[in-house]
Amino acid sequence: MPEQLTLYLHKLSPYSQKIELALVEANAPYKAYQVDVWNKPEWFASIVNTIGKIPAVTYGGPDVDPEDPSPLSAKIAESNVILEFVADLYPDSGLLPKDPIQRANVRFFVNATVKHVEEVFYAFFLGEAPYENVLKGIEFIQGLLEEGRDFAVGDHYTIADACITPHLARLKIVTETDLGKYPVGMGYRLGEELKGPKFVKFMKYLERMLERPSLKEKHDEESLITLFKTKLGDERAQ
Amino acid sequence: MVQKVSPEGEFTTCIVSRVSDANWQIELALIEANASYKTCQIDLFNKPEWYASKVNPIGKVPAVTYGGPDVDPEDPSPLSTKITESRVILEFLADLYPDSGLLPKDPVQRAKVRWFIDATNKHIEDPFYAFIRGRGSYEHVLKGIEFIQGLLEDGTDFAVGDHYTIADAAISPYLARLKIVTENDAGKFPVGMGYKLGEELKGPKFAKFTKYVERMVERPSWKQTNNEEAVIAFFKKIFSERVQ
Repeated sequence: MPEQLTLYLHKLSPYSQKIELALVEANAPYKAYQVDVWNKPEWFASIVNTIGKIPAVTYGGPDVDPEDPSPLSAKIAESNVILEFVADLYPDSGLLPKDPIQRANVRFFVNATVKHVEEVFYAFFLGEAPYENVLKGIEFIQGLLEEGRDFAVGDHYTIADACITPHLARLKIVTETDLGKYPVGMGYRLGEELKGPKFVKFMKYLERMLERPSLKEKHDEESLITLFKTKLGDERAQ
Repeated sequence: MVQKVSPEGEFTTCIVSRVSDANWQIELALIEANASYKTCQIDLFNKPEWYASKVNPIGKVPAVTYGGPDVDPEDPSPLSTKITESRVILEFLADLYPDSGLLPKDPVQRAKVRWFIDATNKHIEDPFYAFIRGRGSYEHVLKGIEFIQGLLEDGTDFAVGDHYTIADAAISPYLARLKIVTENDAGKFPVGMGYKLGEELKGPKFAKFTKYVERMVERPSWKQTNNEEAVIAFFKKIFSERVQ
């Protein structure tokens, strides 16, 4: 019988979404508690995560109300650390393969996602880097994808897929709505480039990931679009 | 280099550059796990041509080749698997040697090890390299060390739990560099700041951290692989221009 697992998250954060995808794909039971990132409750920092970051997980200890975390539970933070933790809790879920070399491939893909997608895409989104950087990053990721394979690594959904999928969903929004702080039109331009023959393998992978029931269950595109519209303000480069 | 066949008959070749800290993490982990391996030194400033074409197209060290026929490290086989990225390699070694203690068996403890490594990158590596490149303050370094000190548990010799893990291997090279900087004042920071950092670290505030460092320095794995002279020479070479 698994111990209690409570995920403190923000439903629109890609880092929180990574964890939800992994938990859903592993059929893992868990409680989710939505934290208002711009207005965190006082008990959160003092009990769950002294750094105050989400996502954060409490594991074990008595089964309590998420708003009243027990000092007896383990507290875990950092999205990629939590992904590995979920994979450790569910070793037969396929979230991580059993073979050491395949596990290394999954971790390499996760690392690559951090370096070549996360850092790059959000810099572009905030108007701090050109869209060409995003394309370069995507090209690197595409180079890791194997032909004829549905997943990032091997034959099963792993934490590599969970790690990148939330960013793929946001990429799709950017290319379809042009929302962001980058110069007007650059979102559409990025989308046009991605439709070209050079990125066929990547786009097919993106489509497969966005089709998965786990993503459809956890992804709230409308709320995300509203968030982008309200939080980004009106100032945009031309 | 003594060649030993590991139980599975696989060979692990570790390609390191002795002055690069990410590489050192891997050698420490290999030694602590009693793993069989061969090493091949790569000169960071003069990489052999075969390295990029046969091992790592990005040309970075460290890299590990695993499996395949038993070959000379300078003639890697296309049949071996190539693994790069020090963090990935450390986890790989822990997977290859699950009973070595490099990673605990318990999921919560494993998470603590990974969190410690993350914290090392954020709070030690980044501020430290900013400092020695003359771009960050030594106060930042101290803040980072204070954070890491806060993670060290009382009554245990290691970063996490009762055994040497990849967390200890991950932080060790930075501890060695810290020692060099505070003892030799080598770096691009203003003259004397390295010594000042050392003085601060001798204070009671950092006693827990300093004791942890001393324990790491005493380990045979450290003594076997620490090449202080080479690193000092390397630092002096690349940090020759100094602010006064």
